[in-house]
Amino acid sequence: MAISWVTVIWSMVASACLTLAVIYFVVWWTNRSAWAHLLFSVTAAATTGVTFCELWMMRAQTPAELVAALRWVQLWLFFLFVSLVWFVRIYLRAGSPWLAWTITGLRTFYVPLTFLAGMNVDYSAVSSLRHIQFLGEPVTVVAGALNPLTLLGQFGVLLIVVFVVDASITAWRRGDRQKALTVGGAIVFFILAGLGTSSLVLWGNVQVPIVVSQCYLGLVAVMGYELSRDVIRASQLVEELKITESGLRESEARIKLAVEAGDLGIWIRDVVRNDIWASEAWRTVFGYAPSEPLAFDEVMQRVHPDDRDMVRHAQATALAGANGGRYQSEFRLVLPDGGTRWIALQGRVEMDGTGRPIVMRGASRDITARKHIEQETQQLRQEIAHAGRVSMMGQLASGLAHEINQPLAAILRNAEAAELFLQDASPDLDEVRAILSDIRADDERAGHVIDRMRGLLKRQTLDARALDIRSLVNDVAALVRVDAAVRHVKLDADVPDDLPHVRGDRVHLQQVLLNLVLNGMDALNGASLENRRVSVSARLDGGQMVELAVGDTGSGIAADTLPRIFDPFFTTKPEGMGMGLAISHTIIEAHGGMLWAANQHGGGAVFRFTLPIADRTSST
Amino acid sequence: MSITEPTVHIVDDNPFFLAAASRLLRASGFTVRTFGSAESFLTQRDEDAPGCVLADVQMPGMNGLELQTALAQSRNPLPILFLTGHGDIASSVRAMREGAEDFLEKRAPRAQLLDAVTRALARDAREREGRARQRELRARFDTLTRRELEVLGHVVRGRLNKQIAGDLGIHERTVKLHRTAITTKLHVQSVAELTRLAHEAGLFTAPAPPCP
Repeated sequence: MAISWVTVIWSMVASACLTLAVIYFVVWWTNRSAWAHLLFSVTAAATTGVTFCELWMMRAQTPAELVAALRWVQLWLFFLFVSLVWFVRIYLRAGSPWLAWTITGLRTFYVPLTFLAGMNVDYSAVSSLRHIQFLGEPVTVVAGALNPLTLLGQFGVLLIVVFVVDASITAWRRGDRQKALTVGGAIVFFILAGLGTSSLVLWGNVQVPIVVSQCYLGLVAVMGYELSRDVIRASQLVEELKITESGLRESEARIKLAVEAGDLGIWIRDVVRNDIWASEAWRTVFGYAPSEPLAFDEVMQRVHPDDRDMVRHAQATALAGANGGRYQSEFRLVLPDGGTRWIALQGRVEMDGTGRPIVMRGASRDITARKHIEQETQQLRQEIAHAGRVSMMGQLASGLAHEINQPLAAILRNAEAAELFLQDASPDLDEVRAILSDIRADDERAGHVIDRMRGLLKRQTLDARALDIRSLVNDVAALVRVDAAVRHVKLDADVPDDLPHVRGDRVHLQQVLLNLVLNGMDALNGASLENRRVSVSARLDGGQMVELAVGDTGSGIAADTLPRIFDPFFTTKPEGMGMGLAISHTIIEAHGGMLWAANQHGGGAVFRFTLPIADRTSST
Repeated sequence: MSITEPTVHIVDDNPFFLAAASRLLRASGFTVRTFGSAESFLTQRDEDAPGCVLADVQMPGMNGLELQTALAQSRNPLPILFLTGHGDIASSVRAMREGAEDFLEKRAPRAQLLDAVTRALARDAREREGRARQRELRARFDTLTRRELEVLGHVVRGRLNKQIAGDLGIHERTVKLHRTAITTKLHVQSVAELTRLAHEAGLFTAPAPPCP
């Protein structure tokens, strides 16, 4: 018996398509979000339907049978085209939506037309059936007048081509070149092929049956191939993900190691929800239980009152986006048990697209031990500086004492001798006159020694330049900052920006200011912890001078000592030399200014001194 | 030439203090000579003059302590009094250990200064007398012959005539003759007095003289 090739080929096409439809339906079933797979399954199933209808048509014995087949074909074509269009839209993530809807609408319009109105959209009337030879066997073809609606159908198919081309170009431009080329190119090619074949048959020029299903098979094959590539890619991605995941775990472990080694506490503040998450290490340092809820304001309460403003300012600056949102600060923490710790904090603010802060991340470290060492070092340095100061003054004083001692001793011995001479019955008055003249000369010599010392001090010290008061005050504030912290003294500086420069020697004015500030801090020994403040301020005094004031909140200067405080060797301190204020006084006078002291109305003493404004033409 | 009057030698680089101190000491009845430096004192002083030295510790060139050392090695080691602008423990300790009479501040009370000078002069007189007596004794011992000195050495160590004769290889009678000559020359009556004089003159302080 002869083999029916038509039956064999069409059955094979149908079963191939059906197999693919079933496989991809199952794939979709396991992953419902893979809509492309479902749509492909529908395309493949619809192709199966179209193939069967074609076989049916070729085997039709009566015109009614053929018309029924033609009608069913419309249903399958509806599924095929609609699923194809949406497959492209989803798979290529491109394509004009309104074109997709137009095509869908057009095809939907066809289905009720054929089934409900009983119309044949291809032929307005099927007059007769003809039988022709095809692949070595007789098959049925139609002879009849074409329905004008067919043109609309063909137009719909062209719309699909336009839609796919457009979608492919978009995908191509986006960079999905492989997909655009395979899917877009194949669909366009096979649809045009199908359109061409059917047009040839319908317009009757070629005596062959309608065999568009072969074209659709090609289309299904390409789509299937493309989708399977996706499956392969997905499995590759899974592998890569596994590698990335293990990499992530590795880097997480590394970070953890670094955090532990660095003794870091990690905290993250959600700025929007005002919510703080912190690592266990952070909680231990800040004195919080592992599950205790954290609030920013409450955490700020644990920061030392003197450091709170500074910490708030640093955070606010970072939140405002300065320094790329980075910030760092060092501050003291006062724990609920009363202990104090030094913390170094470093962090960064993450902004959203509009520059609004979202999250603040930070790492904190307990630097109490380091700070203690720093403070000890600083204290040591100051003690050395102080010792240096004392020994320098000591040398000066001892030199002064020795130089003056000589004439004083001569005066004493001369006076004693004169007394003895005068006891004589007939005193040698010439001798006494000589003695008196020597006494006068020695007195002058002693005076010269003092003048020379003072002159030495003036000449050596004064390297007068134009000076910025702010930087002078800042330098001294930096020198005593740690000392002030250790002694719990709050140091305020209030120097206006617009003060003119003064004329003076930086080193010696620093010494004066340092001396006054240290004196102020000494005056606070024994004062209550809440009220220990030394303030430095500056203001313009007339048009020629700038006045600086160093005030303290101590107990002030006793009325009987006030007139003597600038005397050399006058001191109220057990270890004092009594030279600090005397030298300061000399230095300020050498600058052409004045230094004086007073008690403040609110308690405490204030030392004021003036310095001449630098000549603007000579200042650089 | 010899000045019998004890003199206070003031050594100080400061001419004004020098003049003032000299006036005071003269007015107080002392004989005074002044020197502007330690070197000029050492070269210009009267070698035999009695008295004392009043010197500033700190002087350019040779300072007070160096002067003290040089003076101690001289034939006439006058007592030295130091003056200083301000007390310096290290140099005062050293000065006192080397035998300084006193260590005074330049502006020390007058009485303290004058007392110190008087004490120094008295010490000089005492030491000078001791030195003169020693010199006189030595002159007396110098009249002895070598043999007599040899015999004397044995006598002061308490040895008997017979032992001395044996030691020196001479006759016992010869030893007796030497002893008589010694007591006659030195004008002494007893062995005890002889021993005391020999000690005062600083003789035989070393262990027994070696036998020839």
